[in-house]
Amino acid sequence: MGSEWAPSSADPTADSTGDPPAVELDGVTKRYGDTAAVDDVSLAVREGEFFTLVGPSGCGKTTTLRLIAGFEEPTAGEIRFAGDSVAGVPPEERDVGVVFQNYALFPHMTVGENVGYGLNFADPPEGVSRDERVAELLELVDLPDAADRDPESLSGGQQQRVAMARALAPGPDLLLLDEPMSALDARLRERLRVQVRKIQSELSITTVYVTHDQEEALAISDRVAVMRDGTPEQIAPPRTVYREPSSRFVAEFVGDNNVFAGRVVDVEGGEAGDGGGADDAESNDTPRIAAVDVGGETLRVAVGEGVGVEPGDRLTFCVRPEYLRIDEGESRVLATVESAEFLGETTRVTLDWGGRDLVVRTRDPLSGEVVVGFDPEDAHLIGSDGA
Amino acid sequence: MSDASRGADGATDADGAPDSDRSRPLRDRVADRLRGRLLTALAVVTSAVLVAAFYYPVGTVLIEAVVVDGVPTLAVFAEVFRDPFYFGEFARLFSGESPLAVARALLGPDRRLGIVGFTAYQAALSTVASVALGLPAAYLLARFEFPGRRTLRSLTIVPFVLPSIMVAVGFVATFGDNGTLNGLLGLLGLPPVDLLFTLEAIVIAHAFYNAPLVARVTTAAWESVDASAVETARSLGAGSVRAFFDVVAPQVYPAVLTGAALTFVFTFGTFPIVLALGGFELATVEVFVYRLVRDLSYAEAAALAIVELVISLGVLLAYLRYEARNTVSSRGVRPLPRKSLFPGAPTAREVLPRLGLAAYAVVAGLVFVAPIASMTLASVTGGDGALTLDHYRFLVDRQRTGAAFQVRPWPAIRNSLTFASAATLLALPMGVVVAVLTTRRYRGRKLVDAAAMAPLAVSGIIVGLGLLRGLVFGVEIAGWRFAATGAVAIVVAHAVAGYPFVVRTVAPGLEGLDRSLIESARALGASRARVIRDVELPLVWPGVVAGAAFAFAISIGEFTATVVLATGADAYTMPVAIERFIGRRLGPATAMGVVLLVVTGLSFVVIERLGGETRGL
Repeated sequence: MGSEWAPSSADPTADSTGDPPAVELDGVTKRYGDTAAVDDVSLAVREGEFFTLVGPSGCGKTTTLRLIAGFEEPTAGEIRFAGDSVAGVPPEERDVGVVFQNYALFPHMTVGENVGYGLNFADPPEGVSRDERVAELLELVDLPDAADRDPESLSGGQQQRVAMARALAPGPDLLLLDEPMSALDARLRERLRVQVRKIQSELSITTVYVTHDQEEALAISDRVAVMRDGTPEQIAPPRTVYREPSSRFVAEFVGDNNVFAGRVVDVEGGEAGDGGGADDAESNDTPRIAAVDVGGETLRVAVGEGVGVEPGDRLTFCVRPEYLRIDEGESRVLATVESAEFLGETTRVTLDWGGRDLVVRTRDPLSGEVVVGFDPEDAHLIGSDGA
Repeated sequence: MSDASRGADGATDADGAPDSDRSRPLRDRVADRLRGRLLTALAVVTSAVLVAAFYYPVGTVLIEAVVVDGVPTLAVFAEVFRDPFYFGEFARLFSGESPLAVARALLGPDRRLGIVGFTAYQAALSTVASVALGLPAAYLLARFEFPGRRTLRSLTIVPFVLPSIMVAVGFVATFGDNGTLNGLLGLLGLPPVDLLFTLEAIVIAHAFYNAPLVARVTTAAWESVDASAVETARSLGAGSVRAFFDVVAPQVYPAVLTGAALTFVFTFGTFPIVLALGGFELATVEVFVYRLVRDLSYAEAAALAIVELVISLGVLLAYLRYEARNTVSSRGVRPLPRKSLFPGAPTAREVLPRLGLAAYAVVAGLVFVAPIASMTLASVTGGDGALTLDHYRFLVDRQRTGAAFQVRPWPAIRNSLTFASAATLLALPMGVVVAVLTTRRYRGRKLVDAAAMAPLAVSGIIVGLGLLRGLVFGVEIAGWRFAATGAVAIVVAHAVAGYPFVVRTVAPGLEGLDRSLIESARALGASRARVIRDVELPLVWPGVVAGAAFAFAISIGEFTATVVLATGADAYTMPVAIERFIGRRLGPATAMGVVLLVVTGLSFVVIERLGGETRGL
């Protein structure tokens, strides 16, 4: 387990194949007046990758997508498709398919005319007629008989699929999805995201997906960029983002988390203060452990070899609720049950520990005072940012 | 709408013919470039028409106010400002008298307002009357359900497009010495009233025009109040009256103010109504500008027109500033439920408002229906009170035997239809282009909007005069002499007067278009120009049709500029014919008025049929 947790210092935008990335943002900034909606963003989306921009509203994710689509031009920086700058290239010449949150189906055209609209400007694949191509795409999105229908007669989920078919019909190089499911109910959303991912994999089309729903982002993506205030805080595969959040913001935005901050009182094992040691914690028999004073309690946290931690430093670390266990773990604290939400398979319990909220997940009901604890290696070090 | 989209598809199918893979995108791109240019070209043509038909002629007229014998001077203005005839007691202020003395004189019993003061005074009264007459209608239309509600709602647009000279004839037929009102009073044994050539007649006629406007904008605002907002207020403890004043009224009264501001501006520049119902004794600024023009006092006319323009624009500007601060653009998800017009329970609470509406219906009937009904009645009533077709026979005889210099009905009808068709054909592309240009986001958009809408605010007399002297009499540019016929000048003037209404019916549709529709089309490969054709125009088509109907109606009813330009024997229109008849006998004028009513009505039906469902202003 521990091996997967080692902090990764590798640049997530680097691509080992040597081919230029399908989409590359290089220092891209978009300002509206004094505010930067997108602030110096650099990222790269690989060919065929499902890449998700996730973050709270106003974090710049949609603006980033619109910059890629060409609906907006960056104030600074450069966007490249397969190595070529697209500066000044209008959206209609970028070969992108876009699906909007509200689907934006043309109300004065039938479903078939909607799906076929892009074929006015791009030929269907060799040997396929326009009508066949429309039928093929409606088949792909499971709406084989909808061609003659009025878009407004379809349900939200069906409209979303038509929008998807329309975006894919001209065979774009890049699919851009802007919160395509946020107007749908939860159950339908879960079903559709499986379908969207399936279609994406089948066509292996490079996809940039925007959502505010971190759960959706984790479920659907190859890689996720968690954005905040116009900048990605972390770009990594879903598992990494979940297990090794790079900042307190990511830790708290993605999933439930317990974030602790305190002062280091002692560092055991390894060679304290030496950053030149091997990166791989597994190679050491005794992992480095930092004892951190949090609100008067001393909590023990595993620290990677490469991380310079000295007594007196302020540390921030997090422990996922599923690793905070009742009456177990090396570091334990006494907390009081504050509230409990029954979620079916588990119960999410909020505890009060000296004025701090802790979240645990249990199967059994809890009440009164409980002892919760965690092992050093179940804590993930975030850094010394959130004092 | 569907026709347009089908047409678009047909064309794109032709584009998409599987001939050669490589030439097609290039050809498409070239075609798209051309279409992109087309928009630019149309914008240039629109600007050229505006400059030639509006800015240049108006400029040449207005410049006379400040340039006398080639020397710039403010003397004309100074004279106008110091003349009590124009500014009443205020003129003394401009001549340097103490404000205190002026204020005392203004409060005195025999204050003089002057023409400008009187114009503002009657406009203010007309505004009050229009709001008073319009609000109950809005209440009825927004809050009650009854058979014919939609029709009634659509009908509120009718007065606005009725030719004003015809309405004036209707009012004469109603309120004149031998009008239907006095006939009715006589039947009831009451003494006759003399309303003609009184301020009251003018104010009522203005209310006829503008109360429906107030009703329309107010109804729209009232209907967009979200029921859940009212329900929230009620659940928080507000009674129904309190909830009305706290939640509904704040959302409705900006609309009332919109209606009031527009009414003031319209009635401040009023012309045919006052000319016909007030005569020169009750002259407003516009009427007096006309009189000055007839007397060839161009400089004074121009100075007065500028004063009028500045006041109108001032009111409009003040209103626009207010609007910018107070517009609530949220549209209610769930409008307030309408009550049945027929009370469910005989409680005071249920019955009283409905009784009020019933009383209102009587007044509204008198104001809105009586003029048209009276005109129709008068057109078939002889001098002895018996039914007769004499007035129509007069028109037919005049057509057959009239001398060349006399006004004959058929040329008037033919001219009106020709001018209106031509003006509509010119106003439509102009209006659509300006609507497209003013709904895009760019620096200077407000300026373009203002420049394009200016024709609404400038005196029709001045536009007519400018066109007459600038275009009809001819201009010399680089040794070439350009002169337009009166007919061409009339068409151009009508197009300029009508196209702002096309802009106003098309722009909201464009503005309300979901941006992602346009972006989707672009991402699918359509150029900006192509998107206009494939997506935007089909979706705003009802607005385009409504705009065409407006442009047509404005042209058919236009009187002010036409009467200035139709100096020749052959360019008169139906409204001008009516005005020439009215000077002699009411009978033929009413008959001509009915003809105008029928022709206007039929044209509306035809335009609706041609273009599908229309949408009001």
